Amino acid sequence: MTYLRQVWAIAWKDLLIELKSRERFGSMAGFTVLAGVLFNFAIDWTAVRPDQITSALIWVTIVFGGTLGLGRTFELEARDEAFQGVLLTPVPRDALFLGKVLSNYVIVLAVTLLVLGVFGLFFAQDWSGRPLLLVATLALGGLGFVAVGTLFSAVSSGTATGQTLLPVLLFPLLVPVVIYGTGATGRILVGRPLEEIEGGLRILAAFALGALAAGAVLFRYVVED
Amino acid sequence: MTEPTLEAAGLVREFGGVAAVDGVDVALPAGGFLSVFGPNGAGKTTLLKLLSGVLRPTRGEVRVGGERLVPGSLACLARIGVLSHQTFLYGHLTAWENLRLYGRLYDLPHAERRIVELLGEVGLLERSRDAVNTFSRGMRQRLGLARTLLHDPDVVLLDEPYTGLDAHASAVLRRVLGALRDGRRTVVLVTHNLTQGLGLADRAAIQVRGRFAWAGAADAVPACDFESFYRETVERAETGAAPAAAVTG
Repeated sequence: MTYLRQVWAIAWKDLLIELKSRERFGSMAGFTVLAGVLFNFAIDWTAVRPDQITSALIWVTIVFGGTLGLGRTFELEARDEAFQGVLLTPVPRDALFLGKVLSNYVIVLAVTLLVLGVFGLFFAQDWSGRPLLLVATLALGGLGFVAVGTLFSAVSSGTATGQTLLPVLLFPLLVPVVIYGTGATGRILVGRPLEEIEGGLRILAAFALGALAAGAVLFRYVVED
Repeated sequence: MTEPTLEAAGLVREFGGVAAVDGVDVALPAGGFLSVFGPNGAGKTTLLKLLSGVLRPTRGEVRVGGERLVPGSLACLARIGVLSHQTFLYGHLTAWENLRLYGRLYDLPHAERRIVELLGEVGLLERSRDAVNTFSRGMRQRLGLARTLLHDPDVVLLDEPYTGLDAHASAVLRRVLGALRDGRRTVVLVTHNLTQGLGLADRAAIQVRGRFAWAGAADAVPACDFESFYRETVERAETGAAPAAAVTG
Protein backbone atom coordinates (compact mmCIF):
# COMPACT_ATOMS: atom_id res chain seq x y z
CA MET A 1 0.00 0.00 0.00
CA THR A 2 2.86 2.38 0.82
CA TYR A 3 4.22 1.82 -2.67
CA LEU A 4 0.90 2.70 -4.31
CA ARG A 5 0.49 5.75 -2.06
CA GLN A 6 3.93 6.96 -3.15
CA VAL A 7 3.11 6.40 -6.84
CA TRP A 8 -0.10 8.35 -6.38
CA ALA A 9 1.67 11.13 -4.44
CA ILE A 10 4.01 11.76 -7.38
CA ALA A 11 1.16 11.66 -9.91
CA TRP A 12 -1.05 13.87 -7.71
CA LYS A 13 1.74 16.43 -7.39
CA ASP A 14 2.31 16.57 -11.16
CA LEU A 15 -1.39 16.85 -11.95
CA LEU A 16 -1.93 19.53 -9.32
CA ILE A 17 0.95 21.57 -10.75
CA GLU A 18 -0.48 21.10 -14.24
CA LEU A 19 -3.93 22.14 -13.07
CA LYS A 20 -2.49 25.33 -11.62
CA SER A 21 0.02 26.20 -14.34
CA ARG A 22 -1.44 24.54 -17.49
CA GLU A 23 2.08 24.84 -18.88
CA ARG A 24 2.11 21.50 -20.63
CA PHE A 25 -1.53 20.95 -21.54
CA GLY A 26 -1.74 24.50 -22.91
CA SER A 27 1.03 23.97 -25.44
CA MET A 28 -0.19 20.48 -26.35
CA ALA A 29 -3.78 21.67 -26.83
CA GLY A 30 -2.64 24.63 -28.91
CA PHE A 31 -0.62 22.31 -31.14
CA THR A 32 -3.59 19.95 -31.53
CA VAL A 33 -6.00 22.67 -32.60
CA LEU A 34 -3.46 24.19 -35.01
CA ALA A 35 -2.71 20.77 -36.50
CA GLY A 36 -6.44 20.20 -37.06
CA VAL A 37 -6.82 23.58 -38.76
CA LEU A 38 -3.74 23.06 -40.96
CA PHE A 39 -4.73 19.54 -41.99
CA ASN A 40 -8.22 20.82 -42.79
CA PHE A 41 -6.85 23.35 -45.27
CA ALA A 42 -3.88 21.35 -46.54
CA ILE A 43 -5.79 18.24 -47.59
CA ASP A 44 -7.90 18.14 -50.73
CA TRP A 45 -11.02 16.44 -49.41
CA THR A 46 -12.34 15.88 -52.93
CA ALA A 47 -9.33 13.64 -53.62
CA VAL A 48 -9.25 11.58 -50.37
CA ARG A 49 -11.86 10.24 -48.02
CA PRO A 50 -11.42 11.28 -44.37
CA ASP A 51 -11.58 7.70 -43.05
CA GLN A 52 -8.58 6.79 -45.24
CA ILE A 53 -6.19 9.23 -43.60
CA THR A 54 -7.76 10.25 -40.29
CA SER A 55 -6.04 7.49 -38.30
CA ALA A 56 -2.59 8.60 -39.51
CA LEU A 57 -3.36 12.25 -38.73
CA ILE A 58 -4.63 11.31 -35.26
CA TRP A 59 -1.46 9.43 -34.35
CA VAL A 60 0.88 12.01 -35.85
CA THR A 61 -0.86 14.72 -33.83
CA ILE A 62 -0.86 12.68 -30.59
CA VAL A 63 2.82 11.78 -30.92
CA PHE A 64 4.03 15.26 -31.89
CA GLY A 65 1.73 17.09 -29.47
CA GLY A 66 2.45 14.60 -26.69
CA THR A 67 6.20 14.97 -27.18
CA LEU A 68 5.84 18.73 -26.59
CA GLY A 69 4.41 18.04 -23.14
CA LEU A 70 6.61 15.07 -22.24
CA GLY A 71 9.69 17.14 -23.03
CA ARG A 72 8.82 19.51 -20.22
CA THR A 73 8.18 16.79 -17.62
CA PHE A 74 11.57 17.09 -15.97
CA GLU A 75 12.16 20.72 -16.92
CA LEU A 76 9.52 21.68 -14.33
CA GLU A 77 11.26 19.43 -11.81
CA ALA A 78 14.57 21.23 -12.30
CA ARG A 79 13.31 24.53 -10.85
CA ASP A 80 14.74 24.97 -7.37
CA GLU A 81 16.11 21.45 -7.85
CA ALA A 82 12.73 20.16 -6.67
CA PHE A 83 13.27 16.67 -8.05
CA GLN A 84 16.52 16.43 -6.09
CA GLY A 85 14.41 16.72 -2.94
CA VAL A 86 12.15 13.91 -4.15
CA LEU A 87 15.21 11.75 -4.85
CA LEU A 88 16.30 12.27 -1.24
CA THR A 89 13.11 10.62 0.01
CA PRO A 90 12.89 6.85 0.55
CA VAL A 91 10.68 6.30 -2.48
CA PRO A 92 11.63 3.38 -4.75
CA ARG A 93 12.81 4.75 -8.08
CA ASP A 94 10.38 2.55 -10.01
CA ALA A 95 7.54 4.12 -7.98
CA LEU A 96 8.80 7.56 -9.02
CA PHE A 97 8.79 6.43 -12.64
CA LEU A 98 5.29 4.96 -12.46
CA GLY A 99 3.99 8.12 -10.76
CA LYS A 100 5.43 10.27 -13.55
CA VAL A 101 3.99 7.90 -16.17
CA LEU A 102 0.56 8.05 -14.53
CA SER A 103 0.43 11.85 -14.54
CA ASN A 104 1.77 12.07 -18.10
CA TYR A 105 -0.76 9.46 -19.18
CA VAL A 106 -3.68 11.47 -17.78
CA ILE A 107 -2.44 14.55 -19.65
CA VAL A 108 -1.88 12.66 -22.92
CA LEU A 109 -5.35 11.07 -22.63
CA ALA A 110 -6.84 14.56 -22.21
CA VAL A 111 -4.97 15.64 -25.36
CA THR A 112 -6.22 12.53 -27.17
CA LEU A 113 -9.81 13.47 -26.32
CA LEU A 114 -9.13 16.93 -27.67
CA VAL A 115 -7.68 15.42 -30.87
CA LEU A 116 -10.84 13.38 -31.35
CA GLY A 117 -12.97 16.47 -30.77
CA VAL A 118 -10.99 18.67 -33.16
CA PHE A 119 -10.74 16.05 -35.90
CA GLY A 120 -14.39 15.13 -35.49
CA LEU A 121 -15.25 18.79 -36.01
CA PHE A 122 -12.99 19.50 -38.99
CA PHE A 123 -13.21 16.15 -40.79
CA ALA A 124 -16.83 15.38 -39.85
CA GLN A 125 -15.54 12.06 -38.53
CA ASP A 126 -18.06 9.92 -36.66
CA TRP A 127 -16.44 8.09 -33.71
CA SER A 128 -19.56 6.29 -32.52
CA GLY A 129 -19.13 3.18 -34.71
CA ARG A 130 -17.03 1.02 -32.35
CA PRO A 131 -16.14 3.29 -29.46
CA LEU A 132 -14.76 0.61 -27.10
CA LEU A 133 -12.27 -0.69 -29.65
CA LEU A 134 -11.22 2.85 -30.50
CA VAL A 135 -10.72 3.71 -26.83
CA ALA A 136 -8.72 0.50 -26.26
CA THR A 137 -6.45 1.26 -29.23
CA LEU A 138 -5.80 4.85 -28.24
CA ALA A 139 -5.38 3.93 -24.54
CA LEU A 140 -2.87 1.13 -25.19
CA GLY A 141 -0.92 3.06 -27.80
CA GLY A 142 -0.91 6.13 -25.57
CA LEU A 143 0.40 4.12 -22.60
CA GLY A 144 3.34 2.75 -24.58
CA PHE A 145 4.10 6.20 -25.94
CA VAL A 146 4.01 7.79 -22.47
CA ALA A 147 6.12 5.05 -20.83
CA VAL A 148 8.91 5.38 -23.40
CA GLY A 149 8.52 9.18 -23.54
CA THR A 150 8.80 9.61 -19.76
CA LEU A 151 12.01 7.59 -19.58
CA PHE A 152 13.63 9.45 -22.47
CA SER A 153 12.43 12.78 -21.15
CA ALA A 154 14.47 12.02 -18.01
CA VAL A 155 17.45 11.05 -20.17
CA SER A 156 17.32 14.18 -22.34
CA SER A 157 16.71 16.53 -19.38
CA GLY A 158 20.16 15.64 -18.06
CA THR A 159 21.88 16.71 -21.28
CA ALA A 160 22.90 20.08 -22.66
CA THR A 161 20.69 19.65 -25.74
CA GLY A 162 17.63 18.85 -23.59
CA GLN A 163 14.34 18.99 -25.47
CA THR A 164 16.04 18.99 -28.87
CA LEU A 165 17.41 15.54 -28.15
CA LEU A 166 14.09 14.02 -27.03
CA PRO A 167 12.45 13.52 -30.47
CA VAL A 168 15.70 12.13 -31.87
CA LEU A 169 15.80 9.50 -29.12
CA LEU A 170 12.07 8.90 -28.91
CA PHE A 171 10.67 8.74 -32.42
CA PRO A 172 12.62 5.69 -33.64
CA LEU A 173 11.36 3.73 -30.62
CA LEU A 174 7.78 4.79 -31.32
CA VAL A 175 7.67 3.15 -34.74
CA PRO A 176 5.71 0.09 -33.43
CA VAL A 177 3.17 2.35 -31.67
CA VAL A 178 2.61 4.45 -34.77
CA ILE A 179 2.45 1.49 -37.19
CA TYR A 180 0.10 -0.69 -35.14
CA GLY A 181 -1.84 2.22 -33.64
CA THR A 182 -2.50 3.73 -37.05
CA GLY A 183 -3.33 0.34 -38.56
CA ALA A 184 -5.80 -0.63 -35.82
CA THR A 185 -7.42 2.81 -35.69
CA GLY A 186 -7.83 2.91 -39.49
CA ARG A 187 -9.47 -0.53 -39.55
CA ILE A 188 -11.81 0.44 -36.71
CA LEU A 189 -12.88 3.59 -38.54
CA VAL A 190 -13.70 1.75 -41.77
CA GLY A 191 -15.56 -1.02 -39.89
CA ARG A 192 -13.26 -4.01 -40.55
CA PRO A 193 -13.90 -7.21 -38.53
CA LEU A 194 -12.42 -7.67 -35.06
CA GLU A 195 -10.05 -10.41 -36.25
CA GLU A 196 -8.18 -7.82 -38.34
CA ILE A 197 -7.81 -5.51 -35.36
CA GLU A 198 -6.99 -7.70 -32.38
CA GLY A 199 -3.46 -8.55 -33.57
CA GLY A 200 -2.54 -4.86 -33.58
CA LEU A 201 -4.12 -4.40 -30.16
CA ARG A 202 -2.08 -7.28 -28.74
CA ILE A 203 1.13 -5.76 -30.05
CA LEU A 204 0.21 -2.36 -28.60
CA ALA A 205 -0.50 -4.00 -25.22
CA ALA A 206 2.78 -5.94 -25.30
CA PHE A 207 4.70 -2.79 -26.23
CA ALA A 208 3.07 -0.84 -23.38
CA LEU A 209 3.85 -3.54 -20.79
CA GLY A 210 7.41 -3.93 -22.06
CA ALA A 211 8.00 -0.17 -22.02
CA LEU A 212 6.59 0.14 -18.47
CA ALA A 213 8.76 -2.72 -17.18
CA ALA A 214 11.92 -1.48 -18.92
CA GLY A 215 11.31 2.09 -17.76
CA ALA A 216 10.72 1.00 -14.15
CA VAL A 217 14.01 -0.93 -14.13
CA LEU A 218 16.13 1.65 -15.98
CA PHE A 219 14.80 4.86 -14.40
CA ARG A 220 17.11 4.69 -11.37
CA TYR A 221 20.18 4.59 -13.60
CA VAL A 222 18.96 7.72 -15.36
CA VAL A 223 18.16 9.84 -12.29
CA GLU A 224 20.84 8.69 -9.84
CA ASP A 225 24.54 9.50 -9.89
CA MET B 1 32.11 3.03 22.71
CA THR B 2 28.87 3.66 20.79
CA GLU B 3 28.76 3.34 17.02
CA PRO B 4 28.82 6.67 15.17
CA THR B 5 25.49 7.70 13.64
CA LEU B 6 27.24 9.25 10.66
CA GLU B 7 30.54 7.87 9.48
CA ALA B 8 32.62 8.55 6.38
CA ALA B 9 35.91 6.79 5.78
CA GLY B 10 38.48 7.77 3.15
CA LEU B 11 35.87 9.66 1.17
CA VAL B 12 37.05 10.70 -2.29
CA ARG B 13 35.02 12.14 -5.14
CA GLU B 14 36.65 13.00 -8.42
CA PHE B 15 35.23 14.94 -11.36
CA GLY B 16 37.22 14.35 -14.53
CA GLY B 17 40.28 13.27 -12.57
CA VAL B 18 40.15 16.26 -10.19
CA ALA B 19 39.33 15.43 -6.57
CA ALA B 20 36.62 17.72 -5.18
CA VAL B 21 36.68 15.70 -1.95
CA ASP B 22 40.00 14.08 -1.23
CA GLY B 23 40.22 11.60 1.64
CA VAL B 24 37.77 12.96 4.21
CA ASP B 25 37.15 11.02 7.43
CA VAL B 26 34.18 11.84 9.66
CA ALA B 27 32.75 9.97 12.64
CA LEU B 28 29.89 11.70 14.45
CA PRO B 29 27.88 10.19 17.31
CA ALA B 30 24.21 10.85 17.98
CA GLY B 31 23.94 14.46 19.15
CA GLY B 32 27.15 15.52 17.38
CA PHE B 33 27.05 18.88 15.59
CA LEU B 34 29.83 19.54 13.07
CA SER B 35 30.33 22.86 11.29
CA VAL B 36 32.46 22.74 8.17
CA PHE B 37 34.11 25.95 6.98
CA GLY B 38 36.23 26.57 3.94
CA PRO B 39 36.84 28.85 0.97
CA ASN B 40 34.77 28.66 -2.23
CA GLY B 41 35.59 25.55 -4.24
CA ALA B 42 36.92 23.65 -1.23
CA GLY B 43 34.47 20.78 -1.87
CA LYS B 44 32.08 21.44 1.03
CA THR B 45 28.89 21.05 -1.03
CA THR B 46 30.29 17.93 -2.71
CA LEU B 47 31.03 16.53 0.76
CA LEU B 48 27.40 17.09 1.82
CA LYS B 49 26.15 15.47 -1.39
CA LEU B 50 28.30 12.44 -0.60
CA LEU B 51 27.05 12.32 2.99
CA SER B 52 23.43 12.52 1.78
CA GLY B 53 23.83 9.82 -0.86
CA VAL B 54 23.09 12.13 -3.78
CA LEU B 55 26.59 11.48 -5.14
CA ARG B 56 28.42 8.17 -5.19
CA PRO B 57 31.98 8.39 -3.85
CA THR B 58 34.84 7.52 -6.20
CA ARG B 59 36.50 5.83 -3.20
CA GLY B 60 35.57 5.34 0.43
CA GLU B 61 32.14 4.94 1.94
CA VAL B 62 29.48 6.58 4.08
CA ARG B 63 27.57 4.76 6.81
CA VAL B 64 24.39 5.95 8.51
CA GLY B 65 23.63 4.09 11.71
CA GLY B 66 26.09 1.41 10.62
CA GLU B 67 24.38 0.82 7.28
CA ARG B 68 26.30 1.58 4.09
CA LEU B 69 24.82 4.48 2.17
CA VAL B 70 24.66 4.18 -1.60
CA PRO B 71 22.43 6.25 -3.89
CA GLY B 72 18.95 4.83 -3.56
CA SER B 73 19.47 2.98 -0.26
CA LEU B 74 16.01 3.78 0.99
CA ALA B 75 16.37 2.90 4.68
CA CYS B 76 19.29 5.34 5.00
CA LEU B 77 17.46 8.07 3.11
CA ALA B 78 14.57 7.85 5.59
CA ARG B 79 17.02 8.85 8.35
CA ILE B 80 18.54 11.87 6.55
CA GLY B 81 17.21 15.40 6.08
CA VAL B 82 18.94 17.82 3.71
CA LEU B 83 18.61 21.59 3.44
CA SER B 84 20.60 23.21 0.65
CA HIS B 85 20.57 26.74 -0.78
CA GLN B 86 18.09 25.24 -3.24
CA THR B 87 14.91 24.61 -1.29
CA PHE B 88 13.69 21.50 -3.21
CA LEU B 89 10.17 22.98 -3.22
CA TYR B 90 7.57 23.21 -5.99
CA GLY B 91 6.76 26.86 -6.66
CA HIS B 92 3.26 26.24 -8.04
CA LEU B 93 2.18 24.35 -4.93
CA THR B 94 1.27 25.96 -1.62
CA ALA B 95 3.42 25.52 1.47
CA TRP B 96 0.88 23.02 2.81
CA GLU B 97 0.75 21.05 -0.45
CA ASN B 98 4.55 20.86 -0.59
CA LEU B 99 4.81 19.49 2.93
CA ARG B 100 1.86 17.13 2.40
CA LEU B 101 3.64 15.77 -0.69
CA TYR B 102 6.77 15.07 1.33
CA GLY B 103 4.65 13.60 4.13
CA ARG B 104 3.24 11.10 1.64
CA LEU B 105 6.63 10.32 0.14
CA TYR B 106 8.03 9.62 3.63
CA ASP B 107 4.79 7.74 4.39
CA LEU B 108 4.28 9.62 7.67
CA PRO B 109 1.26 8.39 9.65
CA HIS B 110 0.29 11.73 11.25
CA ALA B 111 1.67 14.13 8.67
CA GLU B 112 -1.01 16.82 9.10
CA ARG B 113 -0.26 17.31 12.79
CA ARG B 114 3.48 17.43 12.13
CA ILE B 115 3.00 19.92 9.27
CA VAL B 116 1.01 22.30 11.47
CA GLU B 117 3.63 22.01 14.21
CA LEU B 118 6.55 22.73 11.85
CA LEU B 119 4.83 25.56 9.98
CA GLY B 120 4.22 27.13 13.38
CA GLU B 121 7.87 26.69 14.35
CA VAL B 122 9.15 28.41 11.21
CA GLY B 123 6.46 31.12 11.38
CA LEU B 124 4.61 30.25 8.18
CA LEU B 125 1.32 28.85 9.48
CA GLU B 126 -0.65 31.87 8.27
CA ARG B 127 0.85 31.60 4.78
CA SER B 128 0.36 27.83 4.51
CA ARG B 129 -2.28 28.15 1.76
CA ASP B 130 -0.18 30.50 -0.41
CA ALA B 131 1.83 29.32 -3.41
CA VAL B 132 5.56 29.07 -2.74
CA ASN B 133 6.12 31.21 -5.87
CA THR B 134 4.80 34.17 -3.87
CA PHE B 135 7.28 33.64 -1.01
CA SER B 136 10.43 35.67 -0.39
CA ARG B 137 13.83 33.94 -0.30
CA GLY B 138 13.75 33.86 3.49
CA MET B 139 10.27 32.35 3.63
CA ARG B 140 11.24 29.66 1.13
CA GLN B 141 14.29 28.80 3.16
CA ARG B 142 12.19 28.54 6.34
CA LEU B 143 9.74 26.28 4.52
CA GLY B 144 12.71 24.29 3.22
CA LEU B 145 13.79 23.82 6.83
CA ALA B 146 10.31 22.54 7.72
CA ARG B 147 10.56 20.11 4.78
CA THR B 148 13.97 18.95 6.02
CA LEU B 149 12.68 18.19 9.51
CA LEU B 150 9.25 16.84 8.52
CA HIS B 151 10.20 13.16 8.90
CA ASP B 152 12.17 13.80 12.11
CA PRO B 153 15.53 12.68 10.66
CA ASP B 154 18.42 11.38 12.78
CA VAL B 155 20.96 13.06 10.50
CA VAL B 156 20.49 16.65 9.31
CA LEU B 157 22.75 18.05 6.58
CA LEU B 158 22.69 21.80 6.02
CA ASP B 159 24.41 23.53 3.11
CA GLU B 160 24.74 27.31 3.55
CA PRO B 161 21.26 27.66 5.04
CA TYR B 162 21.83 31.35 5.87
CA THR B 163 22.48 32.40 2.25
CA GLY B 164 20.33 35.39 1.26
CA LEU B 165 18.31 35.48 4.47
CA ASP B 166 17.13 38.67 6.15
CA ALA B 167 17.59 39.24 9.89
CA HIS B 168 14.19 37.79 10.82
CA ALA B 169 14.64 34.64 8.73
CA SER B 170 18.18 34.22 10.13
CA ALA B 171 16.85 34.46 13.67
CA VAL B 172 14.15 31.86 13.01
CA LEU B 173 16.71 29.57 11.39
CA ARG B 174 19.15 30.03 14.30
CA ARG B 175 16.41 29.18 16.79
CA VAL B 176 15.31 26.05 14.93
CA LEU B 177 18.91 24.91 14.35
CA GLY B 178 19.65 25.49 18.03
CA ALA B 179 16.74 23.20 18.90
CA LEU B 180 18.36 20.47 16.79
CA ARG B 181 21.06 20.13 19.47
CA ASP B 182 18.82 17.77 21.38
CA GLY B 183 21.42 15.06 21.99
CA ARG B 184 19.71 12.73 19.54
CA ARG B 185 20.28 14.25 16.14
CA THR B 186 23.54 14.38 14.25
CA VAL B 187 24.03 17.60 12.31
CA VAL B 188 26.55 18.69 9.69
CA LEU B 189 26.44 22.38 8.79
CA VAL B 190 28.42 23.81 5.89
CA THR B 191 28.73 27.57 6.13
CA HIS B 192 30.91 30.60 5.45
CA ASN B 193 29.55 32.26 8.56
CA LEU B 194 32.22 31.48 11.17
CA THR B 195 30.38 33.03 14.13
CA GLN B 196 27.08 31.26 13.54
CA GLY B 197 28.74 27.99 12.63
CA LEU B 198 30.92 27.95 15.76
CA GLY B 199 28.05 29.07 17.99
CA LEU B 200 25.98 26.01 17.07
CA ALA B 201 28.61 23.29 16.77
CA ASP B 202 30.52 21.10 19.18
CA ARG B 203 32.98 20.09 16.45
CA ALA B 204 34.42 22.12 13.60
CA ALA B 205 36.51 21.48 10.52
CA ILE B 206 38.19 23.64 7.91
CA GLN B 207 38.08 22.12 4.43
CA VAL B 208 40.58 23.24 1.80
CA ARG B 209 41.13 21.64 -1.60
CA GLY B 210 38.88 18.72 -0.72
CA ARG B 211 40.63 17.82 2.56
CA PHE B 212 40.09 18.72 6.17
CA ALA B 213 43.07 20.99 6.85
CA TRP B 214 42.00 21.25 10.49
CA ALA B 215 39.42 19.47 12.63
CA GLY B 216 38.73 19.64 16.34
CA ALA B 217 36.40 20.70 19.10
CA ALA B 218 34.50 23.89 18.33
CA ASP B 219 35.90 25.50 21.49
CA ALA B 220 39.50 24.41 20.81
CA VAL B 221 40.23 27.85 19.42
CA PRO B 222 38.72 30.88 21.21
CA ALA B 223 35.88 32.32 19.13
CA CYS B 224 37.53 35.75 19.03
CA ASP B 225 40.67 34.24 17.47
CA PHE B 226 38.96 31.85 15.10
CA GLU B 227 38.85 34.16 12.09
CA SER B 228 42.61 34.67 12.05
CA PHE B 229 43.15 30.97 12.81
CA TYR B 230 40.86 30.12 9.86
CA ARG B 231 42.79 32.43 7.50
CA GLU B 232 46.15 31.02 8.54
CA THR B 233 44.93 27.45 8.19
CA VAL B 234 43.53 28.07 4.71
CA GLU B 235 46.76 29.79 3.59
CA ARG B 236 48.89 26.97 5.00
CA ALA B 237 46.73 24.31 3.35
CA GLU B 238 46.76 26.07 0.00
CA THR B 239 50.54 26.00 0.01
CA GLY B 240 50.39 22.32 0.91
CA ALA B 241 51.84 22.79 4.42
CA ALA B 242 48.87 21.43 6.43
CA PRO B 243 48.43 17.66 6.90
CA ALA B 244 44.96 16.11 6.54
CA ALA B 245 42.83 16.02 9.70
CA ALA B 246 39.80 13.94 10.64
CA VAL B 247 36.60 14.53 12.60
CA THR B 248 36.24 11.82 15.19
CA GLY B 249 33.53 11.01 17.67
